[in-house]
Amino acid sequence: MGKSVRKILDGMYLAGGVAAALCLIAIVCLIVLQIASRNFGFAFRGGPDYAGYAMAAASFLGFAYALNHGAHIRVSLLVSALGRYRFWGELWCYGVGTAITSIFAWYACNFTYESYRFKDISSGLDATPLWIPQLSMAIGSILLAICFWDNLITLIMKREPNVLEGSVDEPGEEA
Amino acid sequence: MDQLLAIVVFLSVLFLLLGSGVWVGLSLMGVAYIGIEFIAGRAAGGAMINTIWGASSSWTLTALPLFVWMGEILFRTRLSEDMFKGLSPWMARMPGGLVHTNIVGCTVFAAVSGSSAATLTTVGRMSIPELRRREYPEHMVIGTLAGAATLGLMIPPSLTLIVYGVSINESIRELFIAGVIPGLVLASMFMAYVAIYALVSPNYKPIKEPPMSIVEKFKNSAYLIPVILLVFVVIGSMYYGIASATEAAAFGVIGALVLAFFQGSLTVSSFSESLMGAVRTSAMITLILAGAAFLSLAMGYTGLPRALADWIATIELSRFELLMALLVFYIILGCFLDGISAVVLTMAIVEPMIREAGIDVIWFGIFVTVVIEMAQITPPIGFNLFVMQGLTNHQMNYIAKAALPMFGIMVLMVFVLIAFPELATWLPDSIRQSG
Repeated sequence: MGKSVRKILDGMYLAGGVAAALCLIAIVCLIVLQIASRNFGFAFRGGPDYAGYAMAAASFLGFAYALNHGAHIRVSLLVSALGRYRFWGELWCYGVGTAITSIFAWYACNFTYESYRFKDISSGLDATPLWIPQLSMAIGSILLAICFWDNLITLIMKREPNVLEGSVDEPGEEA
Repeated sequence: MDQLLAIVVFLSVLFLLLGSGVWVGLSLMGVAYIGIEFIAGRAAGGAMINTIWGASSSWTLTALPLFVWMGEILFRTRLSEDMFKGLSPWMARMPGGLVHTNIVGCTVFAAVSGSSAATLTTVGRMSIPELRRREYPEHMVIGTLAGAATLGLMIPPSLTLIVYGVSINESIRELFIAGVIPGLVLASMFMAYVAIYALVSPNYKPIKEPPMSIVEKFKNSAYLIPVILLVFVVIGSMYYGIASATEAAAFGVIGALVLAFFQGSLTVSSFSESLMGAVRTSAMITLILAGAAFLSLAMGYTGLPRALADWIATIELSRFELLMALLVFYIILGCFLDGISAVVLTMAIVEPMIREAGIDVIWFGIFVTVVIEMAQITPPIGFNLFVMQGLTNHQMNYIAKAALPMFGIMVLMVFVLIAFPELATWLPDSIRQSG
């Protein structure tokens, strides 16, 4: 039972990451289209806006996946220094993280729903109904909140979180 | 007085969250939420999402994941071998010998990658074993690499400069162009140090390279052609005004894919690994940016940036004194925070201050970048130290000590920048006038 839940959750985070990756590819395609339209004189309206939406989706949908891989940055100096009391430090961090991401997810969904209800339209050339791109924020923030709840519960039950502590030998895990 | 109390509470909560190990982006979000909801007494939720959505769905920001992705693709190619083969014949006869390949290699790779860890791993993977085999002093190999890899932050494309530009709403392209000359100057300073050290130190006796004919040298240089083409595509297209930073980033990704394809290192797994790596890194950075955007809004409510700028104005610091104060401030901050967090966390406060003091914001971007570069090699939190530790298994202290001379050179660079601001302002000024 526990194992299959674990699999489903990790699969969800990965799915978010894959969706984010597709958005990155979409950004490249949109920019190329934009450049082509400028040089070959065909109309491609709202390119920058669409690229911006893809950018937002790439970020939000990737948050949980990045957290699950320990990619998000934190100042772990104090937590590591706690030694055998580390559990309490982690409990505090995951607790605060869970609270903040839950608030974030709540308002993100609210915001997106309001955009839908009031039929907000992008002020750019694209004239997109805004709730469509904002869905990525709603979904991504829920995923992130779930990921935090997941880790908090795992931490309490197993005394350690599901997140693999950040490995810096990969080139990416840095600013 | 109320305002002062609000500011103290606000900053205490911020440092409590950050210091206790809560993720940087979430700490910023949390303190901003508390600031608006409880200190300013307004509903924070709507403002939070509005700001975060606006900051995240930005066209300018798209340059960021693309440059990250480009670096990830190149990391998985044979570029590091090729660069070593192409560069080493020319460096072998210089005083200091092949240690220069570390610095020049980092400089070249920095011009196609925006991050210093990617630069370090890519160059170091090849140069560390090669230099060790030739018995170069270990601390020079390690120190110069850790130091020179920080050029990844300064020489365009640079993630730090993108983040800086997005935070203060200035042209990324101008910032990139501004970083070119200071980056090259800093690289030459590193090289001068290596040359002098090699001439002075009695223990600098590496195994000499076999002599190579000039024809052979040029033949080897052919290995450099792909990476130079790529540099030209990315920096050249921005310099000549053909492309914005975002468009140059898209060119860069496509160029890197083409390069990987012709080298035969473009496989389904290397492609998807590079892409997923880019997703992780850019999600990490955008979470911080999202938090920072909301934090700036909240800071506005507390009046802290304005108050501080006014206060700085009343005590009449000279420009130089202000810069020195900021230098010390950022070095200390950089000991505990990574470069990008340090920039976004402080810009809401520092931006009004420097604008008030009449400091050129493009120039200041380069100034901050040098200081952030130092932070990469200062313990206890220096990312290049961590990466180097993973690469070489040396103790953190050993690496930090080996990199200390590079730290000194960067401090010197700060003063050079202050004495000759044209280093950073001349190129962007000239493209502004021509275009």
